[in-house]
Amino acid sequence: MSEYNKPLPPPSVESEPFWDGCRRHELLVPRCDACSHHWFPATTTCPECWSTDWVWSRVSGKGKIYSFGVYHRAYHKGFADELPYALVVVELDEGPRLTTNVVGCKPEELSCDMPVEVVFDDVTDDRTLYKFKRVNDP
Amino acid sequence: MSTNLSGKYAIVGVGQSPLGKVPEMGPIGLFAVAARNAIEDAGLTKQDVDGLITRGPDDVYCHHQRVGEALGLNVTFSTSTANGGASQTMAVAMACMAIEAGVCNTVVVGYGRDTWSRTHRNAEAKQAVASRPRTYSEFGSEFGQFGAPVNYAIAARRHMERFGTTKAQLGAIAVAFRNHARRNPHAFMQKPLDLDEYLSARLIVDPLCLYDCSVFIDGAGAVVVTTAERARDLRQPPAYVLGFGFGNRLSGWFTDDNMITTGAREAGEAAYKMAGIGPRDVDTAQVYDCFTHMVLLQLEDYGFCAKGEGGPFVASGALEAGGVLPTNTSGGQLSEGHIEGMLQVLEGARQVRREHTPDRQVKDCNIALVTGHGGNTVCQSALILGREAG
Repeated sequence: MSEYNKPLPPPSVESEPFWDGCRRHELLVPRCDACSHHWFPATTTCPECWSTDWVWSRVSGKGKIYSFGVYHRAYHKGFADELPYALVVVELDEGPRLTTNVVGCKPEELSCDMPVEVVFDDVTDDRTLYKFKRVNDP
Repeated sequence: MSTNLSGKYAIVGVGQSPLGKVPEMGPIGLFAVAARNAIEDAGLTKQDVDGLITRGPDDVYCHHQRVGEALGLNVTFSTSTANGGASQTMAVAMACMAIEAGVCNTVVVGYGRDTWSRTHRNAEAKQAVASRPRTYSEFGSEFGQFGAPVNYAIAARRHMERFGTTKAQLGAIAVAFRNHARRNPHAFMQKPLDLDEYLSARLIVDPLCLYDCSVFIDGAGAVVVTTAERARDLRQPPAYVLGFGFGNRLSGWFTDDNMITTGAREAGEAAYKMAGIGPRDVDTAQVYDCFTHMVLLQLEDYGFCAKGEGGPFVASGALEAGGVLPTNTSGGQLSEGHIEGMLQVLEGARQVRREHTPDRQVKDCNIALVTGHGGNTVCQSALILGREAG
């Protein structure tokens, strides 16, 4: 297996539990104890009500495409072989939006509001990325 | 309780540095030339300046101090701004507020950057770019998110799917601004551009192509702001500050529908209210155009057409000379060159001063809207300039 050559920024103090969840193939987002708001990425305070009481909550992983852009130029050599590739914003059913990739389909098959669900890609021994696929795709 | 500052202050001088590829000048040097030209245009001298609000490369610490040092200035009020492309229109408003507060009288406002030369000036500059350590941010770079264009491509895609906006409509913006640039000898892009060439250009981040993106050049612009009372005795016709407003949707570009309806909605409403006018009273718009799609969004949010109707509006020829709203009449950042909105402030003032030759002058121009946006795309500032004080 060739060496993984795309960027993998190290987790921050606030994102480490999220990436640990990905490694277990669980999608976790912060949920406020006070107002039940879900948000992403994690911060110390709920952006809705400013409560500091919140938990990492496992979500369904289902959502829909909010929008996307298709790269026709590689800004990083790790992506040169994938052109054209789409950077996709997925809105989870619980509300938060994630920047991600949709696997198993070409950029021209994507559209806004298309239903998608999470899949996990174990890209290295210790890093797993959250990606999405079309609902009903294998 | 608020005080209406409409018509109390004015831009009394405008100046710019050489624009384009200017490798012999650094960012502070470019700014100094623009500031000198603006003061001279106003018929003022260095001794009259007691305020300085600047912006330049983000890696210059306390930028205004470097500019003040180069100009040998001691002033009562000075600062650098950090609101991205919203800074320059905001800085003119800040100058008015500072004068109103009594802390200064005559303020130089400007922006300068050696954007082309810092990566092309010489072999060392090129090498520095090639070997600079790259930092990647999580939740984006893992998936191939790099550079600014993608943020606007994603917004354009959403607009297209929701409202039926087309590539050709975005192209109408690029073509109109190029037509304006070809009448401006200082504009960087002088080659003709038509819709066919636009539509066949290489894609950067689909739906945005090469001609949807602004042109990085070296350059600086500056204006002088003082009281309307003082303005009447100076060399140039004043461009009165009739209104300003701000909208900062700091919750994020990807949050809610912030990439469909932007903070320009709030900025515009506040500026129109202060000026006592509406969008129909605007004779020319100088709109922050880092990408074509942002022009379309702002035209909607500033009320020149309804939300979702920006595509047909720009395709009607509205932005061209003689159109219903001649826009970015110096060529804009898409064709004159990207100086972070500062040249749009200059052009708004020049249009209400009616100093252009007839091919470039908006006929009977009384009111110009100048806009800025930036700071991770969520900060918006608007400025309304008038030929009369009100």
